[in-house]
Amino acid sequence: MLKEFAEVIRYRELLYNLVVRDLKVRYKNSVLGFFWSLVNPLLQVATITIVFKYILHASGRDYSAYLLCAFLPWMFFQMSVLDASSSILFHSDLVKKTYFPREILPASIVLSNLVHFVLALGVFFVYRMAIGGQITVSWLLLPVVVFIQVMLNLGVAFFVSCLNVFYEDIKYLATVVLNLLYFALPIMYMVEQVRNSERIPGPLVTLLYYINPLPLLLTTYRKILLPPYNFENIHDIPLNYWYLALAAVTSFIIFIAGYAFFNSRKWSFAERV
Amino acid sequence: MDAITVNDLHKTFRLSHERHGSLKSLMLSFRKRTYDYVHALKGISFEVTEGETLAIVGKNGSGKSTLLSIMARVYKPTSGTVVMNGRVSGLLALGAGFHAGLTGIENIYLNGSILGLSRREITKRLDNIVSFAELEDFIDAPLRTYSSGMVMRLGFSVAIQVDPDILLVDEVLAVGDEQFQRKCYDHVRAMQSAGKTIVFVSHDLKAVRDVATRAIWLDSGEIRADDGVDSALDAYLAQSEGRP
Repeated sequence: MLKEFAEVIRYRELLYNLVVRDLKVRYKNSVLGFFWSLVNPLLQVATITIVFKYILHASGRDYSAYLLCAFLPWMFFQMSVLDASSSILFHSDLVKKTYFPREILPASIVLSNLVHFVLALGVFFVYRMAIGGQITVSWLLLPVVVFIQVMLNLGVAFFVSCLNVFYEDIKYLATVVLNLLYFALPIMYMVEQVRNSERIPGPLVTLLYYINPLPLLLTTYRKILLPPYNFENIHDIPLNYWYLALAAVTSFIIFIAGYAFFNSRKWSFAERV
Repeated sequence: MDAITVNDLHKTFRLSHERHGSLKSLMLSFRKRTYDYVHALKGISFEVTEGETLAIVGKNGSGKSTLLSIMARVYKPTSGTVVMNGRVSGLLALGAGFHAGLTGIENIYLNGSILGLSRREITKRLDNIVSFAELEDFIDAPLRTYSSGMVMRLGFSVAIQVDPDILLVDEVLAVGDEQFQRKCYDHVRAMQSAGKTIVFVSHDLKAVRDVATRAIWLDSGEIRADDGVDSALDAYLAQSEGRP
């Protein structure tokens, strides 16, 4: 696997150029350019805020800031997985006619979505400062959390992009699973509101909330970027660093497994696309 | 010294008309999973000496492109080995990665990096690429404003700047008008006199006679003749004319 990785390093300029191409092409003919990638999360968060605050009467300051803190990384995950699923088929002309490390295709998708994510976070910070938010030491943890999420996104992207070459259902399956996760994970609500109810079987909770690194990461973003909640009925539990370590381990395992899986099949792509 | 050593090369493709494109068809036909196999290459062995220009001829489906694709590392062989000594550039298609929305310059960088050129190498050769393609006036315009001939010229001009030790070409020499083609063949001759190794697949037998120093005739995955250009081509032509 190290040999494969060294080959990616050798082709790093191709990776860079594909990321730049992706960013350029996406906004080349639009007047507002990058701001379109902000409009979508902002509108979603506005909608959820209205539903929770004014229809379901959840009270508390800055509800939308807490939403945004989990929503932006969620978008990063979702777009990485969805775009990656069709990345090999989309570039079938390259795959059939040229040699290059195939993992560059899904990796470029994850990286260009990372650029969007970082820009969106930047806008979020500017907004927080403008309304008088505090900069805290815990912000220093942000690069670590982002790095862990990039590993996770890459691992999942390797699985879906590879499988989608052989079974195009994977793209649709991914859409369905992402939709379910959107409601099942603490994105619109806080993790403290999830109780281990008897109706939900225990193993499912373990799988969904502990083995799955995504809710741990989403909650970590909230805990390190924003002060403890000040909501009625929600008792804030401070960040448990063991959970972050657990998320790092599972994300890294998913990355290694995804890369190994991808590598074992990547030279048969040319015969299948 | 041998630039290329091909030893007992086999390639088998699983035929795709029974391919499982979806989970549903996989489930439904789980028990009767039978495949047809195509032996595209059946034990090919040859060496190419440094500085040789080898033409591979044969009718459609004889395995020419498969052989070239394996040499270009796009396919993995089913068995057997290919050893290439030196920097390889595979020209199986022109303009790989071109995007209609990007300008000529942007596409040069993208295409160049796919062919293995670094950013610095491309910048150094940028003027050469643009002037060879004769696109000085259009190079900052998006590719979608180009004619198809212009796109091909740009693709070819980037490709020849790779400056490999071994060049693999699949039917892409015939681009552009008469004058541009002459330039292309001049360039191929310049590479030959610089001692580069060239392997090309072509149906243009006149070009083969003009450029090649040796020819291999492939027929259903086997080498039927490996010889001087004239005798290999004569054998190939004799057989194909004998066909009804």
